[in-house]
Amino acid sequence: MPLKLGLLGEQIAQMATASAADDRRRSLERARQLMASVDAAELRAKLEERTVRLPWLVAVPGGSVAGTRAPAPCPQDFSVVAADGSFIAPDRHSPVRFYVINAGHVVLTYGQHPSAVLDSSPRLYFRDDDLYLDPRVRTVPVEGNRLSAKMCLAEVRALWEGSELVRDVSFVAVRDGSLITWGLQSEDPSFVQQQFLGEFLGYLDRFLERGIPVVSYISYPGARDMINSLRVWLCPRQRVDCENCPSSEDSRFCRTLAGISDRELFGFLAEGERSDVFGSRSAILDRYGTHRIEFFYMSVGGEVVRLEAPRWVTNGPKMLDLVQSLIYDQCLRSAIHPPYPPALQEAHEQAVISGADRRVIEVMIQRALADKGLVYLESAKAQSKRRRAV
Amino acid sequence: MRIGEIVESTSVQFVSESLELGRPPALGSLLKVEVSHESHLYGVVCYGETRSLDPGRPAVRRSTDEVYDDRVYHENPQLAHVLRTEFTCLTVGAMEGGVVLQGLPPQPPPLHFSVRSCNAEESTRFTEDLYYFRLLLGASGPVPSEQLLASHVRRVYRERGTDEDWLRVAAHEIAQLLKQDYDRLVAVLYGIEQGSGPSSRGASTP
Repeated sequence: MPLKLGLLGEQIAQMATASAADDRRRSLERARQLMASVDAAELRAKLEERTVRLPWLVAVPGGSVAGTRAPAPCPQDFSVVAADGSFIAPDRHSPVRFYVINAGHVVLTYGQHPSAVLDSSPRLYFRDDDLYLDPRVRTVPVEGNRLSAKMCLAEVRALWEGSELVRDVSFVAVRDGSLITWGLQSEDPSFVQQQFLGEFLGYLDRFLERGIPVVSYISYPGARDMINSLRVWLCPRQRVDCENCPSSEDSRFCRTLAGISDRELFGFLAEGERSDVFGSRSAILDRYGTHRIEFFYMSVGGEVVRLEAPRWVTNGPKMLDLVQSLIYDQCLRSAIHPPYPPALQEAHEQAVISGADRRVIEVMIQRALADKGLVYLESAKAQSKRRRAV
Repeated sequence: MRIGEIVESTSVQFVSESLELGRPPALGSLLKVEVSHESHLYGVVCYGETRSLDPGRPAVRRSTDEVYDDRVYHENPQLAHVLRTEFTCLTVGAMEGGVVLQGLPPQPPPLHFSVRSCNAEESTRFTEDLYYFRLLLGASGPVPSEQLLASHVRRVYRERGTDEDWLRVAAHEIAQLLKQDYDRLVAVLYGIEQGSGPSSRGASTP
């Protein structure tokens, strides 16, 4: 039956009224004033001295808090390597269990000798070793966060393979999404985390050895790490306990802050400028060693994005400048607005598995099984969605 | 010389992806497909197009005050990989065992086979007979059939070394074919004369 849009219309209007309130703009201005007044060293000490873990992710300032930096000029000749991935998840309604990961990588070279490499590497996973982390007992299937982690690995591998194609020019390696594998946080540390992180950090070792700045790009980030740090700065208590917080002017402001994102907070950045670098307190990063991820925000013209990189990238002024200038240059070359790096866009195009592709893969599997005398029968529910008879 | 690869094949026409981006073979060119050593198929280019590789991802403006025309490709090296140039050929004949046959062959050309340009000798040999003009005049693609035939005649005239005799015979053939349709006849003859340069003549006198 068609969706009853009439019933939704009024609720949409109410939502728009609530979102566009002037109060929100005033709160944002006040939050920026608060950030400008924060003493970075004191905030860092306040965040680190807490004995009880905070209920939110916070941004730990490395230097100052509200500092900005304009982009350095780009080198004359340079490359941008990018990778992205997509997958077909295992389907409970399919008679055979499998999943597909397609990692796309792109090498765009600019300057006197421009060139482009666009490629992808799809792979079908169907063996017990692929489908289960414990193939003997089959209690830990690769799905959900574990499948996302597998795809993250495939992307970092593709990023490395793309980086090996670059010769004699400065370049950065960019991945779409986060380098913080937060999805693994709820997994078994000695078993699941170790399996994925071992290989993931192994690739970061290679980037470090070759001195290649690796970075991840998050468009329209929803993170509130810096906002949460400001809330801690406001909070007079040793242990954050919002449920029992006595009402005060600061507590009301704190609740207002909770509705603002870092993306909005750093909306004051001029085009091309980046914020200071901040450390993340994500628990999974305790296992990253030398590759602990830090982040900063950057205005690319029309959008504030979040860039994440290992500490050895953000601590090296030359690497950090190269990342900022090349990412900004990519956004200047974007054909869309708000801009998005062309290298990431092409990597996405290489990686994406369309609905038509999915059907072709299904038919290929059906035929291959039929050749072996096996009949491919979907569940009745899956078939009912395809043949919507009345 | 290979200039394209067939990506769509039917009994009446075939579409090829050009090996060179942005430069499909000229409208009206005679091309061939070598199906086997003994069997060639001929087509005349009736349409060319450059567009995005992905139909769901149209090309958008990329130029600025400083970067335009060729510089757009220089500053966006990925474009060469995400754009494609295609051209369509009307099938006009074949050669089986050394004998030229004009008209539609029994089989369309195989997909993914190469499309090649014809040298002057091949072009001359195929155009000795003009029966295939009927297929060009019957074309129903985006390019008006009169313009297509005029372009083809101009090219063949030059490839045959500005062969005045051939041009006279071709004009006579066209006049015969369009004797019931003065407007179309004038359109073809005017098209031939316009493209043949100041030294052209003959074709304007049916």
